[in-house]
Order: sequence, then structure tokens, then C-alpha cells
Amino acid sequence: MKNLFFGASKNILLILYLLFLAFPLLWVLSLSFKSSMEIYSGIPNLIPLAPTTQNYYSVFFDQNILKSMSNSFIVGIISSIGVVLISIPASYSLVRYKTYLNKGILGWILVSQIFPVILIMVPLYMILRNLGLTDSLYGLSIVYIVWTLPFVLWMMQGYVKAIPIELEEAALIDGASRRQVIFKVIMPLLLPGIAASALFAFITAWNEFFFALVLMKSQDLITLPVDLARFTGMEGQARTGPLAAASIIATIPSLIIFSIIQKWFTSGLVSGAVKE
Amino acid sequence: MKSKKIFCFVKRLLIFLLSVFAYGCAENERGDKIVFVSLAWQEQSLATHKSIVAEWNELHADKPVEYVQSNWNSIHDYLITSFETGDVPDVFHYESSIIVDFALRGNLANMDTLLSDEFKRDIHESAWKSVKSADGSISGAPFLLESMVVIYNQNHFRERGIVPPTFEEPWDWNKLREIAKALTIDSNKDGWPERYGASIGLRSSANILLNLGIGYGSDFFENKNNERGVVIDSVDIQYLNMIKEIIFEDKSISPTSVTQSGPGTIPSFINGKNSMLIGIGTWARQQLVENAPQELEWGVLVPIKEKNQNQAANSQTLSIPAKSKNKKDAAKFIEFFLSKENMAKLAKSDWMSPTRISLLQSDQFQTPQYGWAICTYIVDKLIVGKWLTLPGYAEWKSRVANPLFQEYFSNRMSSKEFKLRMEEESKYVFSRYKR
Repeated sequence: MKNLFFGASKNILLILYLLFLAFPLLWVLSLSFKSSMEIYSGIPNLIPLAPTTQNYYSVFFDQNILKSMSNSFIVGIISSIGVVLISIPASYSLVRYKTYLNKGILGWILVSQIFPVILIMVPLYMILRNLGLTDSLYGLSIVYIVWTLPFVLWMMQGYVKAIPIELEEAALIDGASRRQVIFKVIMPLLLPGIAASALFAFITAWNEFFFALVLMKSQDLITLPVDLARFTGMEGQARTGPLAAASIIATIPSLIIFSIIQKWFTSGLVSGAVKE
Repeated sequence: MKSKKIFCFVKRLLIFLLSVFAYGCAENERGDKIVFVSLAWQEQSLATHKSIVAEWNELHADKPVEYVQSNWNSIHDYLITSFETGDVPDVFHYESSIIVDFALRGNLANMDTLLSDEFKRDIHESAWKSVKSADGSISGAPFLLESMVVIYNQNHFRERGIVPPTFEEPWDWNKLREIAKALTIDSNKDGWPERYGASIGLRSSANILLNLGIGYGSDFFENKNNERGVVIDSVDIQYLNMIKEIIFEDKSISPTSVTQSGPGTIPSFINGKNSMLIGIGTWARQQLVENAPQELEWGVLVPIKEKNQNQAANSQTLSIPAKSKNKKDAAKFIEFFLSKENMAKLAKSDWMSPTRISLLQSDQFQTPQYGWAICTYIVDKLIVGKWLTLPGYAEWKSRVANPLFQEYFSNRMSSKEFKLRMEEESKYVFSRYKR
């Protein structure tokens, strides 16, 4: 009886906590289906009194959010792939090939995260402009790759460290070449880490605002976060309904990707954190 | 077999990447255009902006305008980095109180020689004052004037037998206080009224308090030895304490509203929880027209007169960066964009007063409907606030004034401490902008 009581209380608490966490999203979802008049009425009802899809229509057809979504998607995909391609060999080398420079390199990577974005913005812009990479999705993707790489590298290191070196040694003794060891032994074991890193890079690029604001000048090349900001006005005003609709649409891709590989993502963050 | 598959996958990946990269690069061409960064954000205003640009593009195919929609919250960062890198738009939309800093840093072209005499003659003097520097150079073309009004619920006024003030007999603060008390309903006397007489959005309090203070005789700034600085005198304290008393002693201003922004106070006005919106921008009328139920009748009050009815002029502007390569064409576009007909459309869609004298005198801006006549009346009362052309004002407002006003209005400091901190912290911020 006592166990049943504790079990039920635990579940109720968990459900309440879940509702607490999900409430902002539910509220935004509710706002997205409310008319402007209902939002301004100040009546805090979760279920819209007269649901309307007008906000979604406005977002898709007046604001053409699909364009900025596709830009964000392209940038997100390029940066995820770029980050993964660079971080796999880099993290493997840092973990497996011990040199005196390793600690210094890792420290330097961390130091690069200290600088605030605003500090590097102008020099970065100059460099990219000289390379013809401002106002280009390609240029923005490169920035995101560089910006995300240090964290991903540290994350991937955890995965590589977690793979026992004995596995590689056994494969080498069995006559496998270094390439075979990497592709047939290490890579399959690294897949969760790769997925987590790719997801992290994608979400970072998907949500990033400031680089996109400054580097992308053309209307056709803006990314989703910059587009979302356009629903806000002066003195704290906003087109609340369309903003809520756009936010819901913006959340969907990361929500889908995250729900698919969340297990790998969380294990990626903690792996290597504990010494066995 | 497996490594062959991996190789194939990598090959496909590279082809995909290259094609996407090519897409990214192909888009990187802007051509010989006038780039116009606009801050229009409301549906009606956006449509007006875009239609005027489309009209220009039809008439000037050789020099088209590329319309870039930015937003009020990030335009400052966008412009700062643009000025520093030299990759500037040709025309940008902002407000007079901020562009003065840009002009002082040499980021803006002097538009005095770029704009025609006809245009300059037709712009109201109060608008020019907000963008002209001491040497007469013009940092932007003012096109919309922002002013503050008191919006009231006509149904509540009728219910209490209150007659709104007239141009000839405006209310002073005492009268407004008395009316706010009369409109407040606390039927069970528990100290938490069901309806407040008024609300005042003080989340970004500096703007509203400085503006309303002018009419009260409180100016917060003084000139000493040709240097402007913050000096809090007894009138300033008296003015702030009066508002505090209405909130905490009379309990006729909603205390919740004090923590909200101006727009945040509109829903409670719409659902009848308060009867007046004090110090709200004229743009709020649009929210009421679009979102208030038909049975809610509202109006705009004649501005309060204590010492005078003056307010600080703050205009929305179109400026040309000094590094723009299309200055002359940009100025031509600005004049087209702000022609009499277009400016009328812009003012109507943003619910602000136009700056052209010929428009202000026209029937469409003299009509009592939606309070247009009162908004136009205020234009003549606009003066240059002592702070408006002060370098560092934008930083002072956000770093010093807003937080200190908020602390003072939440009763967390005495007037003595407020005076001391406001003067000292302001001195520190402004000293960094001295040349």
C-alpha cells in the first residue's frame, strides 16, 4: 500500500513537472491559434475561444518564412556535416596520439570560447568580406563550423576516450590496417557521438542570431532567427499571433531531430566525464 | 564491401556539399542598388513601405531599391557593425534620439545639401530640431513624429459623469489625479481595486518620465559651463513623488502596469480593468482600432498642462551613411519615399503624426476621429529635450536611467539616494562620450 502511494505520488509529481516544462510551448501553441483581438482581450485561456489559422497564413504567405527556414536548414546541415567531418579525426588524434602539445591545444580551443561575439565581429567580417564570403550562406556556415567546433571537439573527445584502446589493438593484431580500424571499429562505436555532435551543431546554427544578423545583408538570405525578430516592434510591441505561429514552426525541426536522437545526445554530453 | 559503401557515402556527401556551397555563393550578388533598411513591422505599415518601394522600382528600373526589413531590437548592433566594416546600407530607418550619436561619430552624411529646399521648407520645425546639430548639419530626414497621449475609456467617463478637458481648458496633474481616483472602483475596500483609474507602463521608464516631466517643469538635465549633465532638483523629486503617490497612496494607478511596457498595459484597458492609459504613444490607437471590441468607445485627452503642454520631439528618420556610395540617389529616393502623398500613407499606417506642414494642416490629420486633431495639436508643442542631442543618451537611458527609475518606483530607495546615484552614475556614462 505504501509503495503504491509513493509510486502514484511520484508519477503525479512527474506529470506536474512535465506540464510545468511543456507549459510555455503549449501557451505559444495556443497563442498561435488565437486572433489578435482575443490575445489583446487579456483573458488567459489555454484553449482559443475562436481558433483561427490566420497567423499561420500570415507567416507563410505574407512573411514567406519558408525562405528563411530553408536558409537556416541549409546552413544547419552544412555546419553539422562540416563540424562532424573535422571533429572526428581531430578528436581521435588528440586522444590517441599523445604529444606535449595536446594539453596546450585543448586549452587553446577552450580559450577561443572566452571571447564575446561582439569582440570578434568586426575583424571576422573584414576577413570574410575579403574572401567574398559575407552575405553568403557558405560564409555563414563556415562561421558556424568554427564557432561550434571547440565544444563539439571536447564532446567527441569523451566518446573517443570511452572506446577502449584494447579494441583497436586487438583489431591491429588481427591484421586490420589503420584505415580499417578507424572505419570498421571506431566509427560504428562513435555513431552516437557523431549524431549528438551533428545535432548540437545543427541546433546551434538553427538558433544563432547575431552572426546571421550582421553577415547576411540580403533579404533573400536571412535565416530564421533574424526573420522571427521581424515580428517585434518598438517599445516591446510584437505581432504576437504571427510570432507565436512562426515560433511553433521554427521549433518543429529541432523538436523532431531532438526526439529521435536525444538518448545519444545526453549520453554524448556525459561520456568521459566519469573515470572508470 | 563496407568500406566501399562508406567511400560512396563520402563521395555523395561531398557532391551534396559542393552543390549547396555553390547555391550559397550564387546568391552573393547585390548589384547596383539602393539598399534601404526599414524598421516597419506592423502589417499595415509593412505593406505601405513595400508598395512605395515597388512604385519607385517601377519608375526607376536603372536604380532599384532593395528593401531590407530589419527590426527595432537589433538595428543598433546591425548599424554599428555596418559603420565599422564600411559595408553600409544606402538608406536606413531609425529615430532621432539615437542617430545623433552616429552623426557625432561621423557615421552619417550631412543631408543638408542632399535634400531639396521644397522638402526642407515643408518639414515642421520641431522635427528639424530633433535631427539638426549645432553646426546646422542634418543627420536624417524626419518623417514621423512620436508623441505621448492619454487615452481614455469614454464609457467609464460617461458612467462617472466626467467631461473630458478641452483645448481651452486642459487638465493639470491634480485634476488628472482627482479623475483617476474617481474612476477607481474598490467595492469591497480591500485595497485591491477591481478597476483602476489609470495605468502607466514604466518598464522602460526613462522615455516616458522625461517626456511627461517637461510639462510639469521637471527637466532632469542642466547646462553647466557649456556641459550638459543630470541634475536632480526639488521639482524633479516632487514630480516623481507625485506619480508615486498616485500609485501607492491613491492606489488609482495599477501597480502592475508600472512593471509593464506601454503595449503591455493595453489589454487591461481593453478589458476595462483600467480607464486611462497615461503616457502611451500615439501608435497605441492602432492596437485599439484593431483589437478592441466595438462596444469599447475610447478617445484621446487633450494633453495635461501643469506649466505647459510641451513634450520632447523624437522623430523617426531616414538617414544616409557617410560611407554610402549612392548618396545622391539615396536622397532622391528619400524625397520620393517621403512625398506628401506617401508620407500621409506612412503616417496613417503607423498611427503617428507626419512631419510635413502641408499634411499637418490637411483635413485627414485635423479630424477629431481617433484623436488625430489632438495628435496634430501636440506637434506644435514639441520641443528639443535637453537630452535629445546629448552623446551617450542611448546608453544612459538603458544603463542608468531605466534601472534607477525602476528601483525608485518600487520603493527601494529614498529620494536622497536616488538623486545621488542618478547624478553620479550619469556623470560616469556621459564622461566617456566627451571629446
